[in-house]
Amino acid sequence: MSQPKQIEKVTKPDHILSYFKLELWPLLLVTVSGIFYNVGMIAGPYFEGRLAQCLFDIMNGYQTFSAMISLAVTYLAVILAVQLMRCIKRFYVRRFANDTSRNMRHMLYNSLVNMSQEELKQESLGAIMTKAVTDVDACVEGMRKFTTEIFDTGVVLASYLAMLFVYDWRLALLSGIFTPIAYFIAGQLKIRITQYNMEYKKSAGRLNSSTMDRISNSITYRVYGCEPNRDSAYETHLADYEKRAVSANLWGSAMQPIYNIISMCGAVLIIYSGSKNVLGTGWANWNIAAFTTFLSCFTKMALKSSKAANLFNAVQKAQVSWVRIKPLMKEYVEQNTDSAIDFSKPGGLTVSGLSLGWPGGPKILKGLSFSAGPGQILGVSGPVASGKSALGKALIGEVPYEGSIRVGERELSTLSGYERSRLISYMGHQPDLVSDSIEENIRLGEHGSIAPYLQAVCFGKEVSQMPQGAATSVGSGGIKLSGGQQARTALARTLYNAQHILILDDPFSAVDRGTEQKIFENLRTLAADKIVILISHRLYLFPTLDKVLFLDGGRGVFSTHDDLMEKNPTYAELYHAQMEGEMQNEE
Amino acid sequence: MKNKNSLGSVLRKIISSSKWMTLTTVIIIAGAIATALLPPLVLERIVNRLTAHQPIPLYLALIYFGLLALSGLLESGQNVMITVFGQKVTHGLRSEMCAKLQRLPAAYFARHEAGKTTSRFVNDVDVVDSLFTNGIISMFADACKVLSILAVIFYKSLGLGILMLWVTPLLFVMTRLFQKRILKAQLANRAAVGNVNNHVPETIRTIRMIRTLFRQKYMEQKYDDYIEESYHATDKSNLYDSIYSPIVIFISSCVIAVMMICAALGGQVQQFFGVTVGTAVAIIAYVNKVFDPLESIGMEIQNIQSAVAGVKRINEFLNEPEREKTDESVTGKGPIPNTKPCICFDHVSFCYDKENTVLNDLCFKVESDEAVTLVGRTGAGKSTIFRLLLGLYCPNEGRVLVDGVEASKIPDTRKRKLFGYVEQSFHSVSGTMAEQISLFDPAISQKQVEDAARLVGLHESILALPEGYNTPVEKAIFSQGQFQLLSIARAVAASPEILLLDEITASLDSDTERRILDALERACEGRTVLSISHRLHVNTRNYRIIEIGSKCL
Repeated sequence: MSQPKQIEKVTKPDHILSYFKLELWPLLLVTVSGIFYNVGMIAGPYFEGRLAQCLFDIMNGYQTFSAMISLAVTYLAVILAVQLMRCIKRFYVRRFANDTSRNMRHMLYNSLVNMSQEELKQESLGAIMTKAVTDVDACVEGMRKFTTEIFDTGVVLASYLAMLFVYDWRLALLSGIFTPIAYFIAGQLKIRITQYNMEYKKSAGRLNSSTMDRISNSITYRVYGCEPNRDSAYETHLADYEKRAVSANLWGSAMQPIYNIISMCGAVLIIYSGSKNVLGTGWANWNIAAFTTFLSCFTKMALKSSKAANLFNAVQKAQVSWVRIKPLMKEYVEQNTDSAIDFSKPGGLTVSGLSLGWPGGPKILKGLSFSAGPGQILGVSGPVASGKSALGKALIGEVPYEGSIRVGERELSTLSGYERSRLISYMGHQPDLVSDSIEENIRLGEHGSIAPYLQAVCFGKEVSQMPQGAATSVGSGGIKLSGGQQARTALARTLYNAQHILILDDPFSAVDRGTEQKIFENLRTLAADKIVILISHRLYLFPTLDKVLFLDGGRGVFSTHDDLMEKNPTYAELYHAQMEGEMQNEE
Repeated sequence: MKNKNSLGSVLRKIISSSKWMTLTTVIIIAGAIATALLPPLVLERIVNRLTAHQPIPLYLALIYFGLLALSGLLESGQNVMITVFGQKVTHGLRSEMCAKLQRLPAAYFARHEAGKTTSRFVNDVDVVDSLFTNGIISMFADACKVLSILAVIFYKSLGLGILMLWVTPLLFVMTRLFQKRILKAQLANRAAVGNVNNHVPETIRTIRMIRTLFRQKYMEQKYDDYIEESYHATDKSNLYDSIYSPIVIFISSCVIAVMMICAALGGQVQQFFGVTVGTAVAIIAYVNKVFDPLESIGMEIQNIQSAVAGVKRINEFLNEPEREKTDESVTGKGPIPNTKPCICFDHVSFCYDKENTVLNDLCFKVESDEAVTLVGRTGAGKSTIFRLLLGLYCPNEGRVLVDGVEASKIPDTRKRKLFGYVEQSFHSVSGTMAEQISLFDPAISQKQVEDAARLVGLHESILALPEGYNTPVEKAIFSQGQFQLLSIARAVAASPEILLLDEITASLDSDTERRILDALERACEGRTVLSISHRLHVNTRNYRIIEIGSKCL
């Protein structure tokens, strides 16, 4: 691994100017070399005109051969210098784009990774992907073109225009009136181009989500024989995308030659009146050099100005993308890790008068009170949708609550994200693995041996039998591991990073009973000084737990297993039903 | 056989299916090339007249402009045609790749991350698009331009023509040198971009873990490392790209300088170069024109270069080994005597990879209408049995028979009528609640969807959602258990003959489990049921137990 590199933070990331500001050096180099190069661009037509004139003079005996030599050498030297400048300009404009793309992605990711589950639910997966990848690319490409064209169009046009005026101002004015017309039309078409682009982007977003859906659910569609009709739905998206891409590109790229033709109308005037100048009957007195230089200068200018429309297009495209990225660009979030809490000191968990429910929804649980001290294991159970998982999520701050949850000396809602993560560990239904090795999935950047934790979750032997051991890649989302292996990796990760309070929501659902028993015993030893909250619908471990919280009908009964068996008929019935099932099947 | 699926043959298919468009494109490009040659010839006449002190008639100026305009228009047409063509190709290619998905074995999806395969469809195909629009076709047009201009130069000035014959190959060698370097950098970049792209959906998926373990910084650093890799690769290829075109332009200036010097020498040499002042002006215009397309070829090479990596991967994708063809004649409607076992594992051995045998010489039979529970330790291969039954994998030895037919030969379209498969966890598809059940199957009516929902007791819960059955799945706040019920509704919607329940009770409490079993009880009438459980559960039906992991039962 290379040394970790810190990418700069962008202040005011939702202002496009901030990104330009960060790149002062490359932009300065671009400016200097860009001005030199573009002013130098007129050297080409100028010297080529002089060369033709010189040839004419030599043929007519006005000049000697050496004049041609020195002219040719000067010509080459100037071109070399100009091209060198061009080289610098090209490279640094690209460096600028590269830097900016990096900065934007960095900021975009920072705001993404610091979003909460709820915020993320509001953006669909496919849309975020398009946003993050395509938009940054298009936006940066627009910024690069804009920067390039400022010089390639702005400066060049100014210097060409100046040159034309020096040769014959009347002719320059006359022939030049066509260029603004081309600009005007380009400006008019701008709105249309933006609109087509917007539709194109939207269609691309739809196509991307449908691609993602088709691929990630392939097996599901296959076992239900639904692949053919998904393919035809995909085909509809493709057709729509093709149509919109063609119209967007049509307006974007095909108009340029038309602008060029409009600008080139001036050439008729130049040839007609310019030839009069050479023959001595026009507004100015010209030689052949002046004639060819003027014509070729004008041609290049017309071409440049036709590309000015490109500038509009690029800026347009960038704007469309930028508008979409902008709301995602938030000030760099640095998670606050200051805390007055002494994390080395274990504290108890005291919950009293707790009510919770999703924002805007009805209360799921009401009037819960329970507590646990270090070394205790608390079982939570209840029928489906009784709020078991919601209670677990409330303890990690995902579900808002009323009443009080005291962790050690502090109220849960007053804890920062950092403090919460140092006090409470959580494992949910999803293994939430990242595409990396088993080892890295457990450590997540920390250092330390993972062996005891693999042993604890009964995974050590299996891992050591894999060809690459703990370095085995788990694949995206753990796809290369079986469900049980994924769950055990996730459990090992949770134990490796365990804090004082450990919330395990159905951690054994993907392992068999014998393994579950073993893991549970290991858990007892590993978490001897911790509070473990075991959320499960399986009750057979519950007799060995210190306390049990039984949720039913929005209420909770906090007691011990034995007590509940005696006093709570629902609990007793559930327990018996489960145990009977076991007996029957074990016969 | 191997070529059948290559990108090349797919492209040929697409091109040959749109002959008229291809022809129009070729004609327009040829016209654009030819008309681009003419204006300098008019210019030559104008300058020659001027050196002879003759006035220029207006019609000559108009012809000059007219030719410019015509060439501009044709060029415009060329752009349009190339875009249309490129889009046709990408559309066709994506369709072809989508069709390939159906033919891929299930193992492919287990081995390849969905994000990366999506990237083949999205990014790599886009690259192939640019390969056409800004690469091959325009490069072909530019190459024709170069050749035609060279021909005119030869005609006008033999000496310069010969000089150009020396310079052009030299430039080509240089270009190749740049190409190779750039390709290397591009490949590195594309690999890094793949990681960058995969990291975003992964973050969204695991955000809860990231927050509870406070690994925001860690994930960010990972992302930054990926971007950094891509950054360095891009920077490198940018460097080569920046040097290339200035070098070309400088060489073109050298050619002009040499030509002018030779023309100025007079006598024999001038004869050889055959240059008058008018010709000199025209030829300068031509030399600039030669190097313009050469320069764009440089850019197009860059596009093609970056496309090569994408093309390679699309080719790899299209060449992936395919699963065995199913037997379309299998209708499952044939007369099957009730005495025949419905499912039969006949000495089946199976392994996913060569090292670990999952099933070894497994034999069991399940009669029609029988209910069976498969038990065994984790990793004994219970889920594998389902995968074999569903025809997702083929056994290495032995046979898996369903209604007397080999499971892998059963066509996909038959499967929904045959199997209802409830997976360990619910896989939501992007669509409405009704579509979660129907899976967009037009053969399943709204009534069937609602019946299935009623059967699992979800009908009321779905109706209570803001848009009822039309609520997008992301907007439905359902519990784990409810989603599990939804996946059962999905399985029974088409009234299949056989129900496969994988770990069905894994994430459900006894209460829901009972609700499901009650529901299944009704659904199981006249059906064969296979269920997997690590845990054994209460059931009202007479379940036979098959233990997996021990030999032939």
